Amino acid sequence: MENFAISVRGLSKRYRRLLRSQRHDSLRDVIAAGIGDMFASKAARDERTKRNTFWALKDASFEIAPGENVGIIGLNGAGKSTLLKLLSRITVPTTGNIRIKGRLGALLEVGTGFHAELTGRENVFLYGSILGMTRKEVEAKFDAIVEFSEIREFIDTPVKRYSSGMYVRLAFAVAAHLDPDILLLDEVLAVGDFAFQRKCMNFAKQLQRKGATILFVSHNMFSIKTMCQRVIYLKKGQVVFDGPTAEGLKLYEADSRLADVPWFDEPEGGRRISFEDVQFLGKEGSEGAVFDFGERMTIRLRYKTKGRVERPDIRIGLDRDDDTHCMTFSTMTDGVPMPYLEGEGAIELTTPPIKLVSDLYTCNVVVRDADGHMLSGQIGGRFHVRHPDFSSTTFGVFHESGEWRVTADAPARLSEVKDRVG
Amino acid sequence: MHPAPSQVITEIRPDRGWLDLDLGAVWRYRELLGVLVMRDLQVLYKQALLGAGWAILQPVFAVIIFSIIFGYIVKMPSEGVPYPLFAFAGVLPWTYFAEAVRRSGTGLVTDAELVRKVYFPRLIMPLANVISPLVDFCIAFVVLLVLMAFYGIAPSWKILVIPPLMVVAALLALSIGLWLGPINVRFRDIKHTLPFLIQIWMYASPIVYPLSIVPREWQAIYALNPMVGVIEGFRWAVFDRGEPNFTALAMSGAIIVLLLAGGLVFFRRMERTFADVI
Repeated sequence: MENFAISVRGLSKRYRRLLRSQRHDSLRDVIAAGIGDMFASKAARDERTKRNTFWALKDASFEIAPGENVGIIGLNGAGKSTLLKLLSRITVPTTGNIRIKGRLGALLEVGTGFHAELTGRENVFLYGSILGMTRKEVEAKFDAIVEFSEIREFIDTPVKRYSSGMYVRLAFAVAAHLDPDILLLDEVLAVGDFAFQRKCMNFAKQLQRKGATILFVSHNMFSIKTMCQRVIYLKKGQVVFDGPTAEGLKLYEADSRLADVPWFDEPEGGRRISFEDVQFLGKEGSEGAVFDFGERMTIRLRYKTKGRVERPDIRIGLDRDDDTHCMTFSTMTDGVPMPYLEGEGAIELTTPPIKLVSDLYTCNVVVRDADGHMLSGQIGGRFHVRHPDFSSTTFGVFHESGEWRVTADAPARLSEVKDRVG
Repeated sequence: MHPAPSQVITEIRPDRGWLDLDLGAVWRYRELLGVLVMRDLQVLYKQALLGAGWAILQPVFAVIIFSIIFGYIVKMPSEGVPYPLFAFAGVLPWTYFAEAVRRSGTGLVTDAELVRKVYFPRLIMPLANVISPLVDFCIAFVVLLVLMAFYGIAPSWKILVIPPLMVVAALLALSIGLWLGPINVRFRDIKHTLPFLIQIWMYASPIVYPLSIVPREWQAIYALNPMVGVIEGFRWAVFDRGEPNFTALAMSGAIIVLLLAGGLVFFRRMERTFADVI
């Protein structure tokens, strides 16, 4: 028997490109379009199919040996999620095939299938069987699961009363006891507080030692580096690199850091300044991709100029993963004396304590001259800000504590209000 | 225990033939089926003040209304059984059937999150949807027995026919759900059309009136409605009056087999794209 855990051959997935307004179309529209099609020429129809479809994954082939830990990397929309969806059988490939040896556990999003009305205990059983465990297995592991989740006293509370942190803990605790031969992990390690995250990393390492095969999708290059010996780098749906982690990450970093922003047109006479490398540094000056909420981080850029660039305004912007522009630092508005830049060198920006909500951010670097003309615009790498509660869905863009005062109109009710606040 | 993991190879391919129904996968996931049914029950009654009382109230209210309109005002014939009892014996299987159709027709969309994020044989969903309302049926059935005791009618051994009849009703609901569910994933129109469909169907079934008042020349066409056999059979089993309508039952059976077979193929064909379009 061949020795593989996952074998993928010529795997492709084609999606129809649907505008949001076209999804869940009403029957009427489809009938109307169908009648329109009947009178269109075949060439016109083929053309439309071509225009309306795209390959999320194209002709991917690789083999993963038992016990291997492989990172899947790539920019947003490169096909990582599609690959995981195909491997976990959520969707069916358009062409090609996949062979999987052993029990596969997919953690694409923690807590899918949790029901808000049910208690933690009931959800453990529900989620367990959704992940593919038998009832007996869940029963046998129940205590260990609750222990791992650290929320024993709330286990009989409906999960709708849980904080998002508790929710994730419980879900992850169940998933951690799945004991799969092959584990698909998607970004889940970026949630929860630091202590719990470490616990999750330990769990992954423990699985590793047991000889499990792990496929790990993440934007967090740091965790990829610590967990995986091999990476598969996807670009526009194709496998462009498959090999040792260090090499793959170098490629990825080169690709992801030097890309021009789409709204930059090279000025006449060529570009006079460009950036080669972006690093994110934490408190101790070590490179990282995950920063705690409230931590100060340093963004270091290496620049190269052609000739002398007079009075540049260097702007570093932070965009959230959903393309919300969150903030910009500018040497001009910050009053940094910058008569000119010439040759090669580095620019370091140490941020104030980062108060952006917990999410993934992309940094971009734009240089303008004194007249406001854009000299360069590049996308400069990604990092996570981490906080257990401040997420973009509930806390918007940033969080800062306010000063609160609560008073009641009638003095008699004051004590009652105090109780409630306390 | 599952077999030694190193030996199980799962193969994922784009195309499966038209007739590759892979019902074995449904069997392997039977525990999930049980868990989903349990979840439906737990959730349904968790925050409702009256809890299981709703299972009783719904059919009881319908019967009260029908008794006033059709029993008292219209003076509908009821085959020698007190009208409220007659109506209850029709409303009971119907309420189950309507609920099972409604849930299996819309269940995939209700649980879209699961469909989008987790693999399981999608057939589990409509299956769970037609099983969970059976519990409501059982609760309401007790009320029927109480009502019969009140009117002094004792059930005979024929009451044993009820479980197989309910299986027929469940299979019919399932086969409808197999057709409507995938369509609802693509076109949300189903959700809005379903209440009308169910209501029309109800009046096309012998629930508020007996089969005997349907004109003889229409009865053959009328019996094309598979619920006719089920409801008539139900009344026969409960009240022990007259002969079971074998023609109607055979008709129901044949139509259900056709709908179910077609529904299974259709569902399997469509489920490949559920996660992409839902």
